[in-house]
Amino acid sequence: MYKRALGRLLDATLRLDTVVGRVYPDDFNPLYYTGGLANLFLTILVLSGIFLFFYYVPSFNDAYASVQFLTVNVPYGQIIRGIHRYAADGFIIVILLHFFRNWFTERFRFSRDEPWISGMMLLAFAGFIGVTGYILVWDQRSEALVAMTGNAASHVPLVGGWLRDALFGGAGLTDLLLPRILFLHVGPAVALYVFLWWHYTRIRAPKVWPPAVWTLFALGFILLLTGLVPVTSQPAASALQPPTGFAVDWLFLSPYWALRVLPPLVLVALGVVLVAYGLYIPYQLPETRAELGIKDSGVAQVLDANCTGCELCYYDCPYNAIVMVPSPNPGVTKAAQARKLRAVVLESRCVECGICVGACPFEALELPGYLQVDIQKKVLSACQS
Amino acid sequence: MPELTGTGTPQTPQSAPAARGARIVGFLCDWAVASDGLVRDDGTMRDLPGVTLIKIPCSGFTRPAWLEFALRNGAEGVFVCGCPLGDCFNRYGNNLIGDRIEQLRRRLERQRINPERIGAIFYRRDAQEEFVSAVRAFAEKVAGLPGPVLPPARPPAAPRGAAPAKPAEAPAPEQEGT
Repeated sequence: MYKRALGRLLDATLRLDTVVGRVYPDDFNPLYYTGGLANLFLTILVLSGIFLFFYYVPSFNDAYASVQFLTVNVPYGQIIRGIHRYAADGFIIVILLHFFRNWFTERFRFSRDEPWISGMMLLAFAGFIGVTGYILVWDQRSEALVAMTGNAASHVPLVGGWLRDALFGGAGLTDLLLPRILFLHVGPAVALYVFLWWHYTRIRAPKVWPPAVWTLFALGFILLLTGLVPVTSQPAASALQPPTGFAVDWLFLSPYWALRVLPPLVLVALGVVLVAYGLYIPYQLPETRAELGIKDSGVAQVLDANCTGCELCYYDCPYNAIVMVPSPNPGVTKAAQARKLRAVVLESRCVECGICVGACPFEALELPGYLQVDIQKKVLSACQS
Repeated sequence: MPELTGTGTPQTPQSAPAARGARIVGFLCDWAVASDGLVRDDGTMRDLPGVTLIKIPCSGFTRPAWLEFALRNGAEGVFVCGCPLGDCFNRYGNNLIGDRIEQLRRRLERQRINPERIGAIFYRRDAQEEFVSAVRAFAEKVAGLPGPVLPPARPPAAPRGAAPAKPAEAPAPEQEGT
């Protein structure tokens, strides 16, 4: 059933591509650049966040006032704050697009699970950073979020109280709260770059940026939103007047809305199950190529006698699965006599696509399932029929 | 338009010899156009009997030498079909084969083989109709190209020792701009 659903979702994804493709040529289809757009938004967030950091004061008395000062008195403060706010929404939107697109087009198959796992980490951390950002403003919404989060955390069996104290520095509102949340906002943002490194290690020449047109469009759209819908705080938090409700940002705060209908423990369990399932997705359909109706190609093999150490395959492998190592001895063919390097395929990274075979003009690479002689035989029989 | 999923639809008798069309070899990526219902058991296309499709794991897997090999062994045209540019299943295999085919075209031009005989097309999994019509257009274009696929063979260079033995034999005239 899962397989059929996945097939239908793939069809829907492709149909969406076709519709978008009518407007934009393939090279500029924004759906092909969701990863690059996410990186663009992350960069905007970091730059605008550094600006905000200079003005923010993490204490109960001054946090709200400092944000108001930033918004009203600091030149362009309102705009920078709006950029930070709306770029965060854009960040989550394109991450989710990236996530669903790569899920439905099954780009986690064959040794491509590590980008998927690191991507799940990026998604979880991005959500967490968003929530801490809403707490930093310290308006009534922030106060409600702290109460709800603390309540939900303390419902976790065994580690509940410890978890709450670790997040907020103790029960209730302590002086530690805002400095700690500030760290939990900035620290995981640094961790995002660690996960991005993991996300990129197995990818050669990743599409880190969208085409310039889309960079400009995203920037312009954020600026437009900032001007049309200025970002405001809710009334300041005060212990005397506990909040009764707050405006929900659906992209980040929908779990808190769900607390209206779900008990906290169920919500926490649901979150754990969702993340665990996300991590399990690449292993859910352990289909071999044969089961997919595709001939098994096998890990690319280097014919050491022919390898000249020219590095063409190294530069073309999309998954960084080929490394060049010093060659202790020359190859056998004439072209391979003077080699200093030779190619080695890292089996754990090889996706068996054969792009290295197409790159090699010296016939030093072969896919065991698609030998050159077999291809040539097929070509010959096609030409002679 | 012939049906793609021709279950029982009578093959329109388009005059048997003309229906065969140009002899073309196509390399088809496993992740690009789905070949279900497009090919017969022997790999030729249902609608275009002259076109043989060879399934490969990625369009970037194609060695440009194989395209030349096909042309030198009787094919009138060769093409590679990959996923849409920017959306390669293997990230950029289709961009790579596009570049390599550009190089191959220039090389073939120097060898007096018409570079129009090599094609690169990019269609996503569900774009079967567009794929078939693109292949048909390619086949028609190839069939309309002038002259034989290969330039007339040059006489083999005389072995060095034998050169003075036959001084009078005029070298074959250079082919004038085929």
